Amino acid sequence: MMTTATRNITLPAEWRDFWALTKPRVMSLVVFTALCGLLAAPGNIHPVIGFTAILCIALGAGACGALNQWYEVDVDAKMARTSKRPLPAGRMDPEAALHFGIGLAAFSVGIMGVAVNWISAALLAFSIFFYAVVYTIWLKPNTPQNIVIGGAAGAFPPVIGWAAVTGDVTLLPVLLFSIIFLWTPPHFWALALFMKTDYGAAGIPMLPNVAGQRVTRNQIFAYSFPMAAVAIAPFLLGESGWLYGLTSALLNLVFLALAFNVWRNEANEAKDMKPEKQLFAFSILYLFLLFALFAFDRILFA
Amino acid sequence: MTQPEQTGFTAEETRIIRQRQAARSRIMGVVLVALCVLFFMITVAKIGVWG
Repeated sequence: MMTTATRNITLPAEWRDFWALTKPRVMSLVVFTALCGLLAAPGNIHPVIGFTAILCIALGAGACGALNQWYEVDVDAKMARTSKRPLPAGRMDPEAALHFGIGLAAFSVGIMGVAVNWISAALLAFSIFFYAVVYTIWLKPNTPQNIVIGGAAGAFPPVIGWAAVTGDVTLLPVLLFSIIFLWTPPHFWALALFMKTDYGAAGIPMLPNVAGQRVTRNQIFAYSFPMAAVAIAPFLLGESGWLYGLTSALLNLVFLALAFNVWRNEANEAKDMKPEKQLFAFSILYLFLLFALFAFDRILFA
Repeated sequence: MTQPEQTGFTAEETRIIRQRQAARSRIMGVVLVALCVLFFMITVAKIGVWG
């Protein structure tokens, strides 16, 4: 929607704005973890069906991004980081974003069910519902535990990838789910610490704004331990080889060391929060490497 | 479909609308062709022609 001082004129959005609506960077992590779940699963899947499953998961993630941005247009407008998105910047009609999101969600679930299997389609449908309704509408604006419970939405992709191959959900995909679920709080709280003013301006009750920086740093450090335990669990349970066991132990040691630095830090200003920025940056690399190594290990030694 | 000329758009706005409609149509065309290919390949995979 393009607005001038004198007239309200709606121009059709550019295709790039629809692409931006899908949050492509978030989608890349979703696609990657789903692909790792798919590759790590026992059994075979036809490459075309496997590609379709990953495509549907990507489209489902895109639907989540579109529905999230449609609902949060007012919040996004208040934060510097999100104010240039298509809806708050006024480049798109909100109704178009809503239709795009619902269309993508229905299409991705339908194709997943028909082409892959209905277990993975049901999981995909539930994860879209969880992100768009439970997280975006219910948790995010109301509780500092938003990303703790909401983290489940981002933890589903490897489970869906696994279910696309096997048609069921066993202990190992639950462990993959748990890794992302327990990784989400330290990852987002590190970001929330140095973006505190941005979230505060938008009225989102992130933990640093509600409980303070000390409590947030304690929680980041506390969550890192169960996360590390769950990350090493596939090796301890004999579900992966030494390659994953060794490298995951190393990655978790680095993660814990960085979380320890965050815990020790007493800085109040974003410019002094180097440990938080380091942990946030490393946490993304950590998840990529952990899942890549897990899939590689399973392919190599399974 | 309402034409831009009928809704009081200026010449410049009409040009932008036409440009965006053309770009979106091209993308939609590419997506539809890709889906046709994908559905064909899914069908072939499902009936087991490629094992």
